[in-house]
Amino acid sequence: MGSHLRSTDCAKRASFAWFAVRLAAWLSISIWTSTALADDDSSTQGALPVEVHGFVSQGFIKTTANNYLAKSKSGSFEFSEVGINFTKGLTDRLRVGLQLFTHDLGPTGNYRTRFDWFYLDYHFFDWFGVRVGRTKLPFGLYNESSDVDAARVSILLPQSMYPVSNRDFLLAQTGGEVYGIVPLADAGGLEYRLYGGTVFYDTADAMQAAANVKVPYIFGGRLMWQTPLEGLQLGGSLQKLRLDADLILPDAQIPNYQKAGVLPADFKNPIPIRIPALLAIASLEYSAHQLLVAAEYSRWRSALNSAVPSFTIPTVESERLYLMTAYHVNSWFTPGVYYSLYFPNASDRSGHDPAFGAVPGSPGIGRAAYQHDVALSLRYDLNQYWLLKVEGHFMHGTAGLTPTLNDNLPLSSLRQDWGVLLLKTTASF
Amino acid sequence: MSRRSPSARLRHAPLGRRTLALALALGCSWGLVFARGTARAESTPAYRVIVHPDNPSTSLTRDFLVDAFLKRTTRWGDGETIRPVDQRADSAVRRRFSESVLQRSVAAVKSYWQQRIFSGRELPPPELDSDDAVVGYVLKHRGALGYVSGSAKLERAKVVQVQ
Repeated sequence: MGSHLRSTDCAKRASFAWFAVRLAAWLSISIWTSTALADDDSSTQGALPVEVHGFVSQGFIKTTANNYLAKSKSGSFEFSEVGINFTKGLTDRLRVGLQLFTHDLGPTGNYRTRFDWFYLDYHFFDWFGVRVGRTKLPFGLYNESSDVDAARVSILLPQSMYPVSNRDFLLAQTGGEVYGIVPLADAGGLEYRLYGGTVFYDTADAMQAAANVKVPYIFGGRLMWQTPLEGLQLGGSLQKLRLDADLILPDAQIPNYQKAGVLPADFKNPIPIRIPALLAIASLEYSAHQLLVAAEYSRWRSALNSAVPSFTIPTVESERLYLMTAYHVNSWFTPGVYYSLYFPNASDRSGHDPAFGAVPGSPGIGRAAYQHDVALSLRYDLNQYWLLKVEGHFMHGTAGLTPTLNDNLPLSSLRQDWGVLLLKTTASF
Repeated sequence: MSRRSPSARLRHAPLGRRTLALALALGCSWGLVFARGTARAESTPAYRVIVHPDNPSTSLTRDFLVDAFLKRTTRWGDGETIRPVDQRADSAVRRRFSESVLQRSVAAVKSYWQQRIFSGRELPPPELDSDDAVVGYVLKHRGALGYVSGSAKLERAKVVQVQ
């Protein structure tokens, strides 16, 4: 079954790659002809050629202990992103666009090209527009631009709020969205975004132990008040989704589970699971003159429901927050700093509660119950198309790590205090 | 009574008094330079906001300009599409306009647009190379909104006051 799934995935990826090549060729021709038309029509109003933008990033990650995002203890260059987008205004109100994206980050990405977003957008009024297609999720301040290194000072966004490991679930949805900005006279404006649809999950990125990963629904919204103080906005985001999957246990482990009484004697793979989740963020950003200050606080509530009681996890609420600031010293140099905090279980912030230990009666999960992250970033803009960044993190706790990158060791046994050094260069146009 | 010259008196003054005198001298010099700069700035504005000659607007609020250049507002009062146009990111007039009207550094505005471009939300205004190019764009597009340096040749482009 596994090999069948893998061969199906390979075939799907190959056909997708061929489709992407054809699409790129078609777009190149379209751009050439549109540009030519725009030149011919340059004397008329409203010539709307295809706009093309893109970026290429290459990074390096090294940790003093624990593998983080990649095999980072020995230093890893598996940290690349490439994106190109095409946008065309068909009329003053109607626009189409798409972005192709490929990336590699440790075990994820592996340079599979995919549609990051594509849409058809009709802008009725400033206070009401409709967009259909695959659209980025407006979740918090920076979720939509989390792939875009050039759009921020830090290399890694605060990972408590924008974990790269959740990219495939939290970045974009396929469905519809309504949006707009409602003017509030002297009180500023209210920007709203409401969306609903599904997430087509690329099984190539699925956990090896899961198959048939589906998101039957995702919906939510973001409301931001753009205050009369220029550059100050505050608001909140809410998102609800459900993830369904088939959990596949390794054949060799099934007898052990059965002996321990965890699985029934007649157990057969897979175990269907459902993970309902509700995510909420409160956001504040002040961006004026040379200063940027941002802070967000979030709670994510989720559970794991399954027909096998021992594979059911009751509702857990994680807690996440960060405070970030950056200062544009001049046109080419911007330092930034943030503090980010993550508790996977807000009911056990210290990791000392035996009720949440890995095994009943154990002393708790200890350092795996939290992750404090202090980051210092330096951004150098060599010119308007090319930048370099250096970033250092001091980490306390192991909650943001994954066992699979760390020899499947429990997170509570990994090094509690560790550091990360990141280097990255990005070209964009 | 000392018969030393003023400069000699200063040379022999205690360190604190010398520092004070130096600070006063620097302050006066800077004040003179600042006054001259201000006088020049009064005679030639740092930037002028221009629109198409058929545009009925005679003045625009700073808030409107912020919303138009960040594309939060996309229509003039008569329904015409607003077509804001920027100057190059490294130009002095862009820097002055950005900091005094948008109240953001050019880098912050670029970052704002990078977020919008690559999340598929919106595209930035076109960036043109010179005042002449901006004037040409404004004359070509009825809904255009641009800014040029104080010494730019405006041809028929209409200057609007910023409130």
